[in-house]
Amino acid sequence: MNFSVDRRDVLKILTGSVLAGPPLLTAAEAGKPLYFSKEEFDLLDRLTEIIIPRDLHSPGAHDAGVAVFIDRRVAEAFLSEEKDAWKNGLAEIERLSMKEAKRPFLKAGKERQIDLLKKLAHGEDNPKSDGEKFFKRLKGATVFAYYSSEIGIHAEMEYKGNVILEQFVGYDAI
Amino acid sequence: MLLQFPGPNPNDVDLKTTYDAVVVGSGAAGGMAAYVLTSHGLKVLLLEAGKYQDTGKVLHSMEWPYDHPRRGEMPPDHHALTLNEYTVRQSPYAQNSPYNKVQSYVQGWGGTDYSKTLVVDEKQHPYTGSRYAWVRSRVVGGKTNIWGRLALRLSDFDFKAKDRDGYGENWPISYADIEPYYDKVDLYLGISGHPENLPHLPDSKFQRPVKLTYSELHLRETLKGMGRVLTPYRAGVTTDGLKHNKYRSRCYGRGACDRRVGGCDIHAAFDSPTGLIRPAWDTGNLTMRTNATVYEVTVDKDTGKATGVSFIDSETRQSHQVKAKTVILAASTLESARLLLLSKSSQHPNGIGNSSGHVGHNFCEHVMGPGVSGFMKDLVGKPRTNDDGRPGSFYIPRFRNLEGKRSEFLRGYGFEGGSGTQMMPSSARATPGFGEEYKKHVREYAGATIEMGAFGEVLPRYENFVDLDPAVKDDWGIPVLRFSYEFGENERKMAKDMAAAGREMFEAAKFEVLSGSDEILPEGWSIHELGTARMGSDPKTSVVNQFQQCHDVKNLLVVDGSTHVNASCQNPTWTIMALCWRSCDHLADQLAKGEV
Repeated sequence: MNFSVDRRDVLKILTGSVLAGPPLLTAAEAGKPLYFSKEEFDLLDRLTEIIIPRDLHSPGAHDAGVAVFIDRRVAEAFLSEEKDAWKNGLAEIERLSMKEAKRPFLKAGKERQIDLLKKLAHGEDNPKSDGEKFFKRLKGATVFAYYSSEIGIHAEMEYKGNVILEQFVGYDAI
Repeated sequence: MLLQFPGPNPNDVDLKTTYDAVVVGSGAAGGMAAYVLTSHGLKVLLLEAGKYQDTGKVLHSMEWPYDHPRRGEMPPDHHALTLNEYTVRQSPYAQNSPYNKVQSYVQGWGGTDYSKTLVVDEKQHPYTGSRYAWVRSRVVGGKTNIWGRLALRLSDFDFKAKDRDGYGENWPISYADIEPYYDKVDLYLGISGHPENLPHLPDSKFQRPVKLTYSELHLRETLKGMGRVLTPYRAGVTTDGLKHNKYRSRCYGRGACDRRVGGCDIHAAFDSPTGLIRPAWDTGNLTMRTNATVYEVTVDKDTGKATGVSFIDSETRQSHQVKAKTVILAASTLESARLLLLSKSSQHPNGIGNSSGHVGHNFCEHVMGPGVSGFMKDLVGKPRTNDDGRPGSFYIPRFRNLEGKRSEFLRGYGFEGGSGTQMMPSSARATPGFGEEYKKHVREYAGATIEMGAFGEVLPRYENFVDLDPAVKDDWGIPVLRFSYEFGENERKMAKDMAAAGREMFEAAKFEVLSGSDEILPEGWSIHELGTARMGSDPKTSVVNQFQQCHDVKNLLVVDGSTHVNASCQNPTWTIMALCWRSCDHLADQLAKGEV
């Protein structure tokens, strides 16, 4: 049989409704954040999940505990500038959301949330505004935390290495 | 039963004896000197400025990142100098830093938590002068604990380079002199590779080679049509095992090498402590003292010959002297030069071994930075393979200025590269944007990526040098080095060509080029500093003879990278060890005949 549409695309169409996004990690599930307030943590958790969302292939940043890891690292950061950059960055997201969507980020709806981040992501290579600079920081931390997590390495990337090999894998140089 | 290694309390080391040799530094060169001389039955004292660290206990090479509280990153009060800091700040780079510990950029690679105890704290070890990223490791084994494993031979294209292009000086040896010692190093330490029969990159006595990925094999085929070669990484790693060394296992393709900034807890990759120092220890002829920071070579007032060294205990800060018939400096290219310059006396007013005025000069290394990255379309979205279960990926040997065809610049460069899946996918950093599309892109392109970067020969120039800073001292009160060193026009022209050639090869292979750069990384970045006490036949223009003995002081040897006459573009560690072996054989012979 020959499908003109990729099997995974078909699945995506059929199950589109379940991709609306996982529920927020509640404070009870997460325990108390070490550094961020509950509101900040919820915002951070949603932002990371928008950056690396659950899809049909694997869970996203929320399930990988990306926000939990970032919270832990920021809590122990040595320089107060580092801590402030995160607090101020999250506040900037809220400010931009109030300005553009007239409501807090978490209540702005998925479409508006993505639109807002898209604007900030434009400056990824050479961030200029506070919002663009924060996006770069946020994405960098999210990418590191996600792809070094159990979900990122095994479920998402299906990493085959870090095992003992009798023979190397690959092709002989002939 | 094994003897206790590295021995009892350092304070118990006998400093009253006159040793046959005192060796300063325990890296590739110092380890080799200790091994060869003790094998000849000589009594050797090995002094190391740092402490002993058991890699097997600290490396945890197969630990998953998520099992480490910081995913392998360093503690929050540590800071690794960034590329930007070397550029915008003045040395000493750790000056006024708010962090408790500041270390060189190497600390910022993956596996930083492991390397934090191997790399020196810049606050304790300042240096001044021109921009230089100086990576130092004060621990038993030195930088062999973190080295990149690429183990290459030099050839007469290097030893007799002046004959080919008229620049600089020839070495006082030719390939035929050192070839038997390359063979010895290969067989004793183990090296993995595939023979290519190239005159400018002679083959070694290879063990089982690493395999190539599909994209690497394709690039190899493409380059054949261009008269160039892609060869499996020539790794200083025993892939078949070494029956004569019980401290080292063969490689099991765990692929942990690059995730831990080098270092191998089963010691398949060469490191000086298991490859050389433990075998030396087992002869019963070796004494080792750690935390011994040597600050002077002492001399006999009548003969001007070396009598031993003075050192400070790094912890108690007490000063000690020890006597030896011969003194062997293996403290690294820059530290050995510093030590020669520090050792001033009435016989040696400019520093010992420095009547030529060449100590610290002709300082050279490898220039790096330019490279290319891309992907192979056929591999996009293909199922995962294990691409990083190997101690290295590939090497493209020099192809410029070999056959009379002259470029805009002298000498040449080679490329080191890699491809395919890594634990932290390179596509994750390279892919812009976010969301489902981003995630899918990272997943599908991770196995298709291929990248390579060039290492080029920096010409030795007298005007590139280090000397002692007249004012600044390190934490132990020892004057520090001051750099007067920068890349020149030849390096800048070469860098442009590296970037263009990298792109040309990727395009010839029909790879999609994602990025290419001709930007040069700061001086020092290659960690291949060389040449500060070059060898030669003429005592007026060189510091040591072909057996690495100082022209001025025959019982003082310098056996590390200092004695390179030029840098070649081929990585130096294997050559350092082959030269050291040859010199120590010669020295043992002379000692037996009473000629030193």
